[in-house]
Amino acid sequence: MILQSNDLVKSFGGVTAINHLSLTVEKGTVFGIIGPNGSGKTTFFNLVNGVYTPDSGRVTFDGKNITGLRPHRIAELGIGRTFQIPAPFTKMTLLENVMVSTFIRASSLKESRKMAWEILELVRLDDKGNTQVANVTLEDRKRLELARALGTKPSLLLLDEVMAGLTPAEVKGAIELIRSLRTRELTIIVVEHIMDVILSLCDRIAVLDYGQKIAEDIPDQIVNNKEVIRAYLGERYSARN
Amino acid sequence: MELQASKAQAVPVPSVWRFTPLGLLLVICLILPWLASPLWIRIATEVLMWAGLAQSWNIIGGYTGYLCFGHGAFFGLGSYVTGLMMVNLGWPFGIGLLFSGILASLLAVIIGYPTLRLRGAYFAIATWAFGEMVRQIATILDVTGGAFGLQLPSFLNLRYFYYVMLAVTGLTYLTTHFLLERARFGYKLLAIREHEEAAEMVGVDTVSIKMKAFALSAFFPGVLGGIYAYWVTYIHPDSVLGAQLTDFMVVMAFLGGIGSLWGPFLGAVVVQLLQRILWLFWGEGTFYLVIIGVAICAVVLFIPNGLIGLMESRFLSPREAVSQLKKTFKW
Repeated sequence: MILQSNDLVKSFGGVTAINHLSLTVEKGTVFGIIGPNGSGKTTFFNLVNGVYTPDSGRVTFDGKNITGLRPHRIAELGIGRTFQIPAPFTKMTLLENVMVSTFIRASSLKESRKMAWEILELVRLDDKGNTQVANVTLEDRKRLELARALGTKPSLLLLDEVMAGLTPAEVKGAIELIRSLRTRELTIIVVEHIMDVILSLCDRIAVLDYGQKIAEDIPDQIVNNKEVIRAYLGERYSARN
Repeated sequence: MELQASKAQAVPVPSVWRFTPLGLLLVICLILPWLASPLWIRIATEVLMWAGLAQSWNIIGGYTGYLCFGHGAFFGLGSYVTGLMMVNLGWPFGIGLLFSGILASLLAVIIGYPTLRLRGAYFAIATWAFGEMVRQIATILDVTGGAFGLQLPSFLNLRYFYYVMLAVTGLTYLTTHFLLERARFGYKLLAIREHEEAAEMVGVDTVSIKMKAFALSAFFPGVLGGIYAYWVTYIHPDSVLGAQLTDFMVVMAFLGGIGSLWGPFLGAVVVQLLQRILWLFWGEGTFYLVIIGVAICAVVLFIPNGLIGLMESRFLSPREAVSQLKKTFKW
Protein backbone atom coordinates (compact mmCIF):
# COMPACT_ATOMS: atom_id res chain seq x y z
CA MET A 1 0.00 0.00 0.00
CA ILE A 2 1.51 3.30 -1.06
CA LEU A 3 -1.30 5.76 -0.45
CA GLN A 4 -4.06 5.67 2.07
CA SER A 5 -6.64 8.27 2.93
CA ASN A 6 -8.49 7.84 6.19
CA ASP A 7 -11.89 9.39 6.68
CA LEU A 8 -11.01 12.59 4.78
CA VAL A 9 -13.40 15.53 5.07
CA LYS A 10 -13.09 18.83 3.25
CA SER A 11 -15.80 21.43 2.88
CA PHE A 12 -15.89 24.85 1.29
CA GLY A 13 -18.44 27.05 3.01
CA GLY A 14 -21.58 24.96 3.08
CA VAL A 15 -20.46 22.51 0.40
CA THR A 16 -18.87 19.28 1.50
CA ALA A 17 -16.55 18.45 -1.38
CA ILE A 18 -15.04 15.37 0.23
CA ASN A 19 -17.20 13.48 2.71
CA HIS A 20 -15.53 10.86 4.90
CA LEU A 21 -13.48 9.42 2.07
CA SER A 22 -11.24 6.43 2.70
CA LEU A 23 -9.18 5.00 -0.15
CA THR A 24 -6.27 2.60 -0.30
CA VAL A 25 -4.01 2.38 -3.33
CA GLU A 26 -1.60 -0.53 -3.72
CA LYS A 27 1.96 0.01 -4.89
CA GLY A 28 2.63 -0.46 -8.60
CA THR A 29 -1.00 -0.37 -9.67
CA VAL A 30 -2.96 2.01 -11.85
CA PHE A 31 -5.91 3.24 -9.85
CA GLY A 32 -8.82 5.04 -11.49
CA ILE A 33 -11.15 7.58 -9.94
CA ILE A 34 -14.35 8.46 -11.78
CA GLY A 35 -17.48 10.35 -10.92
CA PRO A 36 -19.73 13.18 -12.10
CA ASN A 37 -18.49 16.75 -12.27
CA GLY A 38 -18.15 18.21 -8.80
CA SER A 39 -17.95 14.82 -7.13
CA GLY A 40 -14.63 15.70 -5.51
CA LYS A 41 -12.04 14.04 -7.74
CA THR A 42 -9.79 17.05 -8.15
CA THR A 43 -10.36 18.07 -4.53
CA PHE A 44 -9.10 14.65 -3.52
CA PHE A 45 -5.90 15.25 -5.50
CA ASN A 46 -5.55 18.65 -3.90
CA LEU A 47 -5.83 17.06 -0.47
CA VAL A 48 -3.26 14.42 -1.30
CA ASN A 49 -0.63 16.77 -2.63
CA GLY A 50 -1.11 19.48 -0.05
CA VAL A 51 -2.88 22.25 -1.94
CA TYR A 52 -5.67 21.94 0.63
CA THR A 53 -5.52 20.80 4.22
CA PRO A 54 -8.35 18.45 5.14
CA ASP A 55 -10.85 19.51 7.83
CA SER A 56 -10.38 16.10 9.37
CA GLY A 57 -8.92 12.73 8.48
CA ARG A 58 -5.42 11.90 7.35
CA VAL A 59 -3.39 11.00 4.31
CA THR A 60 -0.61 8.43 4.59
CA PHE A 61 1.98 8.08 1.86
CA ASP A 62 4.53 5.28 1.93
CA GLY A 63 4.00 4.85 5.66
CA LYS A 64 4.37 8.55 6.45
CA ASN A 65 1.61 10.88 7.57
CA ILE A 66 1.65 13.71 5.00
CA THR A 67 -1.52 15.49 6.10
CA GLY A 68 -1.06 19.25 6.09
CA LEU A 69 2.40 19.30 4.50
CA ARG A 70 3.01 21.96 1.86
CA PRO A 71 2.94 20.86 -1.81
CA HIS A 72 6.67 21.32 -2.37
CA ARG A 73 7.43 19.01 0.56
CA ILE A 74 5.03 16.41 -0.79
CA ALA A 75 6.68 16.65 -4.21
CA GLU A 76 10.03 15.98 -2.53
CA LEU A 77 8.58 12.94 -0.80
CA GLY A 78 7.59 11.54 -4.19
CA ILE A 79 4.11 12.55 -5.28
CA GLY A 80 3.93 14.11 -8.74
CA ARG A 81 0.81 15.70 -10.13
CA THR A 82 -0.56 17.17 -13.35
CA PHE A 83 -3.09 19.96 -13.64
CA GLN A 84 -6.43 19.44 -15.33
CA ILE A 85 -5.91 22.65 -17.27
CA PRO A 86 -2.24 22.72 -18.31
CA ALA A 87 -0.34 25.21 -16.18
CA PRO A 88 3.00 25.55 -17.93
CA PHE A 89 5.62 28.22 -17.27
CA THR A 90 4.60 30.04 -20.44
CA LYS A 91 7.58 32.28 -21.06
CA MET A 92 10.05 29.47 -20.70
CA THR A 93 11.09 26.69 -23.06
CA LEU A 94 9.78 23.15 -22.66
CA LEU A 95 13.23 22.11 -21.48
CA GLU A 96 13.31 24.81 -18.82
CA ASN A 97 9.84 23.82 -17.66
CA VAL A 98 10.98 20.29 -16.99
CA MET A 99 14.31 21.42 -15.57
CA VAL A 100 12.58 23.32 -12.77
CA SER A 101 10.88 20.13 -11.67
CA THR A 102 14.12 18.13 -11.67
CA PHE A 103 15.82 20.54 -9.26
CA ILE A 104 14.73 18.54 -6.21
CA ARG A 105 16.46 15.45 -7.65
CA ALA A 106 19.51 16.89 -9.36
CA SER A 107 22.63 18.26 -7.74
CA SER A 108 23.56 20.71 -10.48
CA LEU A 109 22.07 22.69 -13.30
CA LYS A 110 23.95 20.51 -15.75
CA GLU A 111 22.55 17.33 -14.27
CA SER A 112 19.01 18.66 -14.27
CA ARG A 113 19.39 19.69 -17.91
CA LYS A 114 20.41 16.13 -18.73
CA MET A 115 17.52 14.66 -16.73
CA ALA A 116 15.07 17.02 -18.40
CA TRP A 117 16.20 15.96 -21.88
CA GLU A 118 15.71 12.32 -20.94
CA ILE A 119 12.18 12.96 -19.73
CA LEU A 120 11.33 15.01 -22.81
CA GLU A 121 12.53 12.08 -24.88
CA LEU A 122 10.33 9.72 -22.88
CA VAL A 123 7.20 11.77 -23.60
CA ARG A 124 8.41 12.41 -27.16
CA LEU A 125 8.83 16.15 -26.85
CA ASP A 126 12.59 16.19 -27.26
CA ASP A 127 12.36 17.78 -30.70
CA LYS A 128 10.64 20.80 -29.14
CA GLY A 129 12.87 21.16 -26.09
CA ASN A 130 14.10 24.60 -27.03
CA THR A 131 10.68 25.90 -28.09
CA GLN A 132 8.77 28.37 -25.94
CA VAL A 133 5.57 26.97 -24.45
CA ALA A 134 3.56 29.71 -26.15
CA ASN A 135 4.38 28.09 -29.50
CA VAL A 136 3.21 24.51 -28.89
CA THR A 137 -0.17 22.79 -29.24
CA LEU A 138 -2.57 21.66 -26.51
CA GLU A 139 -1.48 18.07 -26.94
CA ASP A 140 2.12 19.06 -26.40
CA ARG A 141 1.14 21.09 -23.35
CA LYS A 142 -0.60 18.05 -21.90
CA ARG A 143 2.50 16.01 -22.54
CA LEU A 144 4.58 18.73 -20.97
CA GLU A 145 2.32 18.62 -17.90
CA LEU A 146 3.14 14.93 -17.64
CA ALA A 147 6.84 15.52 -18.30
CA ARG A 148 6.99 18.13 -15.58
CA ALA A 149 5.34 15.77 -13.11
CA LEU A 150 7.82 13.04 -14.07
CA GLY A 151 10.69 15.46 -13.55
CA THR A 152 10.18 15.23 -9.81
CA LYS A 153 10.87 11.47 -10.09
CA PRO A 154 7.64 10.53 -8.32
CA SER A 155 6.75 7.14 -6.92
CA LEU A 156 3.11 8.16 -7.06
CA LEU A 157 1.74 10.06 -10.02
CA LEU A 158 -1.62 11.84 -9.92
CA LEU A 159 -3.00 12.40 -13.41
CA ASP A 160 -5.91 14.83 -13.50
CA GLU A 161 -7.74 14.42 -16.81
CA VAL A 162 -4.65 14.36 -18.96
CA MET A 163 -6.72 13.30 -21.98
CA ALA A 164 -9.46 15.93 -21.82
CA GLY A 165 -9.62 17.97 -25.02
CA LEU A 166 -7.50 15.61 -27.09
CA THR A 167 -8.60 14.06 -30.39
CA PRO A 168 -9.22 10.27 -30.43
CA ALA A 169 -5.89 9.69 -32.15
CA GLU A 170 -4.09 11.78 -29.56
CA VAL A 171 -5.88 9.92 -26.76
CA LYS A 172 -4.57 6.65 -28.16
CA GLY A 173 -1.04 8.01 -28.09
CA ALA A 174 -1.50 9.24 -24.54
CA ILE A 175 -2.78 5.84 -23.36
CA GLU A 176 0.29 4.18 -24.88
CA LEU A 177 2.47 6.70 -23.14
CA ILE A 178 0.93 6.11 -19.71
CA ARG A 179 1.15 2.35 -20.21
CA SER A 180 4.83 2.71 -20.97
CA LEU A 181 5.33 4.52 -17.65
CA ARG A 182 3.95 1.61 -15.68
CA THR A 183 6.62 -0.02 -13.59
CA ARG A 184 6.68 -1.77 -10.28
CA GLU A 185 8.02 1.41 -8.70
CA LEU A 186 5.50 3.88 -10.11
CA THR A 187 1.93 3.94 -8.89
CA ILE A 188 -0.52 5.99 -10.93
CA ILE A 189 -3.87 7.42 -9.95
CA VAL A 190 -5.94 8.52 -12.94
CA VAL A 191 -8.92 10.86 -12.89
CA GLU A 192 -10.65 10.74 -16.23
CA HIS A 193 -14.06 11.11 -17.85
CA ILE A 194 -13.31 9.05 -20.92
CA MET A 195 -14.47 5.58 -19.84
CA ASP A 196 -12.49 3.69 -22.47
CA VAL A 197 -9.32 5.22 -21.11
CA ILE A 198 -10.17 4.33 -17.53
CA LEU A 199 -11.24 0.80 -18.39
CA SER A 200 -8.19 0.03 -20.48
CA LEU A 201 -5.66 1.49 -18.06
CA CYS A 202 -6.81 0.76 -14.55
CA ASP A 203 -6.42 -2.21 -12.24
CA ARG A 204 -8.99 -0.85 -9.82
CA ILE A 205 -11.55 1.90 -10.01
CA ALA A 206 -13.21 3.97 -7.31
CA VAL A 207 -16.38 5.92 -8.03
CA LEU A 208 -17.09 9.19 -6.23
CA ASP A 209 -20.43 10.93 -5.89
CA TYR A 210 -20.97 14.03 -3.74
CA GLY A 211 -17.58 13.50 -2.16
CA GLN A 212 -18.33 9.96 -1.08
CA LYS A 213 -17.05 6.68 -2.41
CA ILE A 214 -20.03 4.79 -3.76
CA ALA A 215 -18.12 1.87 -5.22
CA GLU A 216 -14.67 0.43 -5.63
CA ASP A 217 -13.87 -2.61 -7.71
CA ILE A 218 -12.09 -4.03 -10.74
CA PRO A 219 -13.15 -2.43 -14.07
CA ASP A 220 -15.43 -5.31 -15.20
CA GLN A 221 -17.47 -5.12 -12.03
CA ILE A 222 -17.67 -1.33 -11.96
CA VAL A 223 -19.48 -1.06 -15.30
CA ASN A 224 -22.19 -3.40 -14.03
CA ASN A 225 -22.57 -1.83 -10.61
CA LYS A 226 -26.17 -0.54 -10.24
CA GLU A 227 -25.17 2.40 -8.03
CA VAL A 228 -22.46 3.52 -10.47
CA ILE A 229 -24.84 3.32 -13.42
CA ARG A 230 -27.36 5.44 -11.58
CA ALA A 231 -24.91 8.10 -10.43
CA TYR A 232 -22.50 8.36 -13.30
CA LEU A 233 -22.54 6.02 -16.28
CA GLY A 234 -26.27 6.17 -17.09
CA GLU A 235 -28.54 3.45 -18.45
CA ARG A 236 -27.32 3.92 -22.01
CA TYR A 237 -23.77 3.04 -21.13
CA SER A 238 -24.69 -0.12 -19.25
CA ALA A 239 -27.00 -1.25 -22.05
CA ARG A 240 -24.13 -0.94 -24.51
CA ASN A 241 -22.06 -3.40 -22.55
CA MET B 1 23.75 9.16 -27.77
CA GLU B 2 23.80 10.96 -31.08
CA LEU B 3 20.68 12.82 -30.07
CA GLN B 4 22.33 13.91 -26.88
CA ALA B 5 25.33 15.25 -28.74
CA SER B 6 23.28 17.32 -31.14
CA LYS B 7 21.33 18.82 -28.26
CA ALA B 8 24.47 19.82 -26.45
CA GLN B 9 25.32 21.96 -29.45
CA ALA B 10 22.03 23.75 -29.26
CA VAL B 11 23.25 25.44 -26.09
CA PRO B 12 25.09 28.61 -27.12
CA VAL B 13 28.84 28.21 -26.94
CA PRO B 14 30.60 31.13 -25.25
CA SER B 15 32.96 32.72 -27.71
CA VAL B 16 35.48 35.50 -27.27
CA TRP B 17 33.43 37.78 -29.50
CA ARG B 18 30.39 37.55 -27.28
CA PHE B 19 32.25 39.39 -24.56
CA THR B 20 33.57 42.18 -26.77
CA PRO B 21 30.68 44.63 -26.15
CA LEU B 22 30.84 43.91 -22.44
CA GLY B 23 34.60 44.48 -22.34
CA LEU B 24 34.20 47.71 -24.27
CA LEU B 25 31.53 48.93 -21.84
CA LEU B 26 33.75 48.07 -18.89
CA VAL B 27 36.74 49.92 -20.36
CA ILE B 28 34.58 52.99 -21.04
CA CYS B 29 33.23 52.88 -17.50
CA LEU B 30 36.73 52.58 -16.04
CA ILE B 31 38.38 55.44 -17.94
CA LEU B 32 35.40 57.78 -18.06
CA PRO B 33 36.24 59.82 -14.93
CA TRP B 34 39.64 60.71 -16.43
CA LEU B 35 38.14 62.06 -19.64
CA ALA B 36 34.92 63.71 -18.57
CA SER B 37 34.30 67.06 -16.89
CA PRO B 38 33.14 67.07 -13.23
CA LEU B 39 29.57 67.66 -14.37
CA TRP B 40 29.60 64.59 -16.56
CA ILE B 41 31.25 62.52 -13.86
CA ARG B 42 28.33 63.45 -11.65
CA ILE B 43 25.84 62.51 -14.33
CA ALA B 44 27.64 59.22 -15.00
CA THR B 45 27.60 58.44 -11.27
CA GLU B 46 23.86 59.09 -11.23
CA VAL B 47 23.32 56.87 -14.22
CA LEU B 48 25.26 54.06 -12.56
CA MET B 49 23.26 54.43 -9.37
CA TRP B 50 19.99 54.22 -11.27
CA ALA B 51 21.23 51.26 -13.27
CA GLY B 52 21.88 49.46 -9.99
CA LEU B 53 18.53 50.47 -8.52
CA ALA B 54 16.57 49.47 -11.61
CA GLN B 55 18.29 46.09 -11.63
CA SER B 56 17.51 45.57 -7.94
CA TRP B 57 13.87 46.25 -8.61
CA ASN B 58 14.04 43.93 -11.59
CA ILE B 59 14.95 41.00 -9.30
CA ILE B 60 11.60 41.08 -7.52
CA GLY B 61 9.51 42.91 -10.14
CA GLY B 62 10.89 41.49 -13.37
CA TYR B 63 12.19 38.03 -12.60
CA THR B 64 9.75 37.11 -9.84
CA GLY B 65 6.73 39.04 -11.16
CA TYR B 66 5.96 40.83 -7.89
CA LEU B 67 5.49 44.54 -8.62
CA CYS B 68 7.04 46.25 -5.62
CA PHE B 69 6.09 49.90 -5.25
CA GLY B 70 7.93 50.50 -2.02
CA HIS B 71 11.47 49.89 -3.17
CA GLY B 72 12.51 53.47 -2.51
CA ALA B 73 12.16 52.70 1.19
CA PHE B 74 15.17 50.39 1.06
CA PHE B 75 17.21 53.10 -0.63
CA GLY B 76 16.13 55.64 1.99
CA LEU B 77 16.79 53.25 4.83
CA GLY B 78 20.30 52.70 3.47
CA SER B 79 20.91 56.44 3.22
CA TYR B 80 19.86 57.06 6.79
CA VAL B 81 21.67 54.06 8.24
CA THR B 82 24.98 54.99 6.63
CA GLY B 83 24.44 58.65 7.47
CA LEU B 84 23.55 58.06 11.10
CA MET B 85 26.37 55.60 11.63
CA MET B 86 28.91 58.02 10.27
CA VAL B 87 27.51 61.06 12.07
CA ASN B 88 26.53 59.60 15.44
CA LEU B 89 28.85 56.65 15.84
CA GLY B 90 31.76 57.80 13.74
CA TRP B 91 31.90 54.46 11.94
CA PRO B 92 33.73 54.17 8.64
CA PHE B 93 31.83 54.54 5.39
CA GLY B 94 32.38 50.94 4.28
CA ILE B 95 30.92 49.44 7.46
CA GLY B 96 27.96 51.79 7.15
CA LEU B 97 27.31 50.53 3.61
CA LEU B 98 27.42 46.92 4.69
CA PHE B 99 25.01 47.58 7.53
CA SER B 100 22.72 49.52 5.21
CA GLY B 101 22.49 46.58 2.86
CA ILE B 102 21.92 44.03 5.60
CA LEU B 103 19.29 46.11 7.38
CA ALA B 104 17.48 46.74 4.10
CA SER B 105 17.39 42.97 3.47
CA LEU B 106 16.17 42.36 6.99
CA LEU B 107 13.40 44.90 6.55
CA ALA B 108 12.48 43.21 3.27
CA VAL B 109 12.10 39.89 5.07
CA ILE B 110 9.88 41.46 7.74
CA ILE B 111 7.74 43.24 5.17
CA GLY B 112 7.82 40.36 2.71
CA TYR B 113 6.51 37.81 5.18
CA PRO B 114 2.97 39.21 5.18
CA THR B 115 2.94 40.96 1.79
CA LEU B 116 4.42 38.28 -0.47
CA ARG B 117 1.21 36.31 -0.03
CA LEU B 118 -0.56 38.99 -2.02
CA ARG B 119 -0.60 39.03 -5.79
CA GLY B 120 -0.66 41.59 -8.54
CA ALA B 121 -2.20 44.92 -7.64
CA TYR B 122 -2.62 43.97 -3.97
CA PHE B 123 1.09 43.43 -3.52
CA ALA B 124 1.79 46.71 -5.31
CA ILE B 125 -0.58 48.61 -3.00
CA ALA B 126 0.74 46.98 0.16
CA THR B 127 4.35 47.75 -0.69
CA TRP B 128 3.45 51.29 -1.70
CA ALA B 129 1.84 51.79 1.70
CA PHE B 130 4.97 50.38 3.31
CA GLY B 131 7.12 52.88 1.41
CA GLU B 132 4.95 55.77 2.57
CA MET B 133 5.10 54.47 6.12
CA VAL B 134 8.89 54.50 6.14
CA ARG B 135 8.91 58.04 4.76
CA GLN B 136 6.53 59.24 7.46
CA ILE B 137 8.59 57.58 10.16
CA ALA B 138 11.77 59.28 8.92
CA THR B 139 9.91 62.60 8.93
CA ILE B 140 8.71 62.42 12.53
CA LEU B 141 11.71 60.82 14.24
CA ASP B 142 14.21 63.03 16.05
CA VAL B 143 17.21 60.89 15.35
CA THR B 144 16.84 61.27 11.57
CA GLY B 145 16.59 65.03 11.85
CA GLY B 146 12.93 64.83 10.83
CA ALA B 147 11.90 67.02 7.93
CA PHE B 148 15.12 69.03 8.27
CA GLY B 149 17.16 66.11 7.11
CA LEU B 150 20.63 64.95 7.96
CA GLN B 151 24.00 66.52 7.19
CA LEU B 152 26.85 64.09 6.59
CA PRO B 153 30.57 64.80 6.76
CA SER B 154 31.57 65.98 3.33
CA PHE B 155 34.13 64.25 1.22
CA LEU B 156 34.38 65.93 -2.14
CA ASN B 157 36.00 63.45 -4.45
CA LEU B 158 33.89 62.84 -7.51
CA ARG B 159 36.06 60.06 -8.88
CA TYR B 160 35.95 58.19 -5.60
CA PHE B 161 32.17 58.13 -5.57
CA TYR B 162 32.05 57.28 -9.24
CA TYR B 163 34.18 54.18 -8.68
CA VAL B 164 32.33 53.11 -5.54
CA MET B 165 29.05 53.41 -7.40
CA LEU B 166 30.52 51.51 -10.36
CA ALA B 167 31.70 48.72 -8.06
CA VAL B 168 28.36 48.27 -6.30
CA THR B 169 26.31 48.51 -9.48
CA GLY B 170 28.75 46.10 -11.11
CA LEU B 171 28.18 43.75 -8.21
CA THR B 172 24.42 44.04 -8.72
CA TYR B 173 24.78 42.96 -12.33
CA LEU B 174 27.25 40.19 -11.52
CA THR B 175 24.92 38.84 -8.86
CA THR B 176 21.98 38.96 -11.23
CA HIS B 177 24.01 37.20 -13.89
CA PHE B 178 25.32 34.39 -11.72
CA LEU B 179 22.38 33.92 -9.39
CA LEU B 180 19.46 34.61 -11.69
CA GLU B 181 20.62 33.90 -15.22
CA ARG B 182 22.96 31.00 -14.53
CA ALA B 183 21.61 29.21 -11.48
CA ARG B 184 18.64 27.24 -10.29
CA PHE B 185 17.55 30.17 -8.15
CA GLY B 186 16.77 32.21 -11.27
CA TYR B 187 14.79 29.41 -12.89
CA LYS B 188 12.76 29.04 -9.73
CA LEU B 189 11.97 32.76 -9.74
CA LEU B 190 10.81 32.59 -13.34
CA ALA B 191 8.69 29.56 -12.53
CA ILE B 192 7.05 31.47 -9.66
CA ARG B 193 6.38 34.40 -11.98
CA GLU B 194 4.87 32.19 -14.66
CA HIS B 195 2.73 29.94 -12.43
CA GLU B 196 3.23 29.97 -8.72
CA GLU B 197 1.02 26.97 -7.85
CA ALA B 198 2.68 24.84 -10.50
CA ALA B 199 6.10 25.85 -9.23
CA GLU B 200 5.17 24.83 -5.69
CA MET B 201 3.85 21.54 -7.01
CA VAL B 202 7.10 20.55 -8.69
CA GLY B 203 9.03 21.09 -5.50
CA VAL B 204 9.86 24.80 -5.43
CA ASP B 205 9.57 26.16 -1.89
CA THR B 206 7.83 29.29 -3.16
CA VAL B 207 7.56 31.05 0.20
CA SER B 208 11.24 30.85 0.98
CA ILE B 209 12.39 31.55 -2.58
CA LYS B 210 10.23 34.69 -2.84
CA MET B 211 11.56 35.89 0.48
CA LYS B 212 15.15 35.38 -0.64
CA ALA B 213 14.47 37.22 -3.88
CA PHE B 214 12.90 40.13 -2.01
CA ALA B 215 15.79 40.30 0.47
CA LEU B 216 18.32 40.23 -2.38
CA SER B 217 16.46 42.93 -4.28
CA ALA B 218 16.48 45.13 -1.15
CA PHE B 219 20.17 44.67 -0.33
CA PHE B 220 21.57 46.67 -3.24
CA PRO B 221 19.27 49.70 -2.89
CA GLY B 222 20.33 49.79 0.77
CA VAL B 223 24.00 49.98 -0.18
CA LEU B 224 23.42 52.40 -3.07
CA GLY B 225 21.42 54.62 -0.72
CA GLY B 226 24.38 54.72 1.64
CA ILE B 227 26.74 55.77 -1.16
CA TYR B 228 24.27 58.39 -2.31
CA ALA B 229 24.02 59.90 1.18
CA TYR B 230 27.79 60.30 1.56
CA TRP B 231 28.11 61.52 -2.01
CA VAL B 232 25.52 64.32 -1.82
CA THR B 233 26.31 64.91 1.91
CA TYR B 234 22.78 66.03 2.75
CA ILE B 235 19.64 63.90 2.83
CA HIS B 236 16.07 64.49 3.86
CA PRO B 237 12.91 62.35 3.68
CA ASP B 238 11.80 63.71 0.31
CA SER B 239 15.15 63.28 -1.38
CA VAL B 240 15.80 59.69 -0.37
CA LEU B 241 12.33 58.36 0.46
CA GLY B 242 10.10 60.11 -2.06
CA ALA B 243 7.68 58.04 -4.11
CA GLN B 244 9.46 59.24 -7.25
CA LEU B 245 12.44 57.06 -6.41
CA THR B 246 10.41 53.89 -6.67
CA ASP B 247 8.58 55.17 -9.72
CA PHE B 248 11.82 55.68 -11.57
CA MET B 249 13.15 52.24 -10.73
CA VAL B 250 9.96 50.78 -12.16
CA VAL B 251 9.97 53.03 -15.21
CA MET B 252 13.58 52.31 -16.05
CA ALA B 253 13.17 48.57 -15.65
CA PHE B 254 10.03 48.55 -17.81
CA LEU B 255 11.46 50.82 -20.46
CA GLY B 256 14.62 48.77 -20.78
CA GLY B 257 12.92 45.40 -20.44
CA ILE B 258 11.93 43.59 -17.26
CA GLY B 259 13.20 40.13 -16.49
CA SER B 260 16.36 40.66 -18.52
CA LEU B 261 19.90 41.33 -17.40
CA TRP B 262 20.65 44.38 -19.55
CA GLY B 263 17.18 45.88 -19.81
CA PRO B 264 17.33 47.89 -16.58
CA PHE B 265 20.78 49.17 -17.50
CA LEU B 266 19.55 50.39 -20.85
CA GLY B 267 16.46 51.91 -19.24
CA ALA B 268 18.51 53.75 -16.63
CA VAL B 269 20.91 55.14 -19.22
CA VAL B 270 18.10 56.35 -21.48
CA VAL B 271 15.89 57.87 -18.79
CA GLN B 272 18.60 59.50 -16.70
CA LEU B 273 20.54 60.86 -19.66
CA LEU B 274 17.36 62.18 -21.23
CA GLN B 275 16.45 63.91 -18.01
CA ARG B 276 19.88 65.48 -17.64
CA ILE B 277 20.17 66.54 -21.27
CA LEU B 278 16.79 68.25 -21.19
CA TRP B 279 17.79 69.93 -17.97
CA LEU B 280 21.18 71.03 -19.29
CA PHE B 281 20.10 72.38 -22.62
CA TRP B 282 16.63 73.68 -21.90
CA GLY B 283 16.87 74.23 -18.18
CA GLU B 284 13.77 72.13 -17.94
CA GLY B 285 13.25 70.07 -14.82
CA THR B 286 9.76 68.62 -15.13
CA PHE B 287 8.81 68.36 -18.78
CA TYR B 288 10.88 65.21 -19.17
CA LEU B 289 8.30 63.51 -16.98
CA VAL B 290 5.76 63.99 -19.76
CA ILE B 291 8.10 62.51 -22.34
CA ILE B 292 8.91 59.59 -20.09
CA GLY B 293 5.23 59.06 -19.32
CA VAL B 294 4.41 58.80 -23.00
CA ALA B 295 7.43 56.59 -23.63
CA ILE B 296 6.52 54.19 -20.86
CA CYS B 297 2.93 53.91 -22.13
CA ALA B 298 4.21 53.09 -25.58
CA VAL B 299 6.71 50.56 -24.30
CA VAL B 300 4.29 48.78 -22.01
CA LEU B 301 1.65 48.57 -24.73
CA PHE B 302 3.65 47.79 -27.82
CA ILE B 303 6.96 46.31 -26.77
CA PRO B 304 6.38 44.51 -23.46
CA ASN B 305 9.90 43.16 -23.57
CA GLY B 306 11.24 46.70 -23.45
CA LEU B 307 13.99 48.33 -25.48
CA ILE B 308 16.18 45.28 -25.03
CA GLY B 309 13.40 43.17 -26.55
CA LEU B 310 13.27 45.39 -29.62
CA MET B 311 16.41 43.74 -30.83
CA GLU B 312 14.87 40.29 -30.97
CA SER B 313 11.09 40.47 -30.99
CA ARG B 314 8.27 41.91 -33.03
CA PHE B 315 5.78 44.57 -32.02
CA LEU B 316 2.53 43.46 -30.41
CA SER B 317 -0.93 44.64 -31.35
CA PRO B 318 -2.69 46.58 -28.55
CA ARG B 319 -4.98 43.65 -27.77
CA GLU B 320 -2.12 41.17 -27.54
CA ALA B 321 -0.27 43.65 -25.40
CA VAL B 322 -3.05 43.98 -22.82
CA SER B 323 -3.55 40.23 -22.52
CA GLN B 324 0.20 39.82 -22.15
CA LEU B 325 0.24 42.27 -19.29
CA LYS B 326 -2.69 40.65 -17.54
CA LYS B 327 -1.01 37.29 -17.76
CA THR B 328 2.28 38.55 -16.42
CA PHE B 329 0.82 40.22 -13.37
CA LYS B 330 -2.20 38.02 -12.68
CA TRP B 331 -4.74 40.82 -12.86
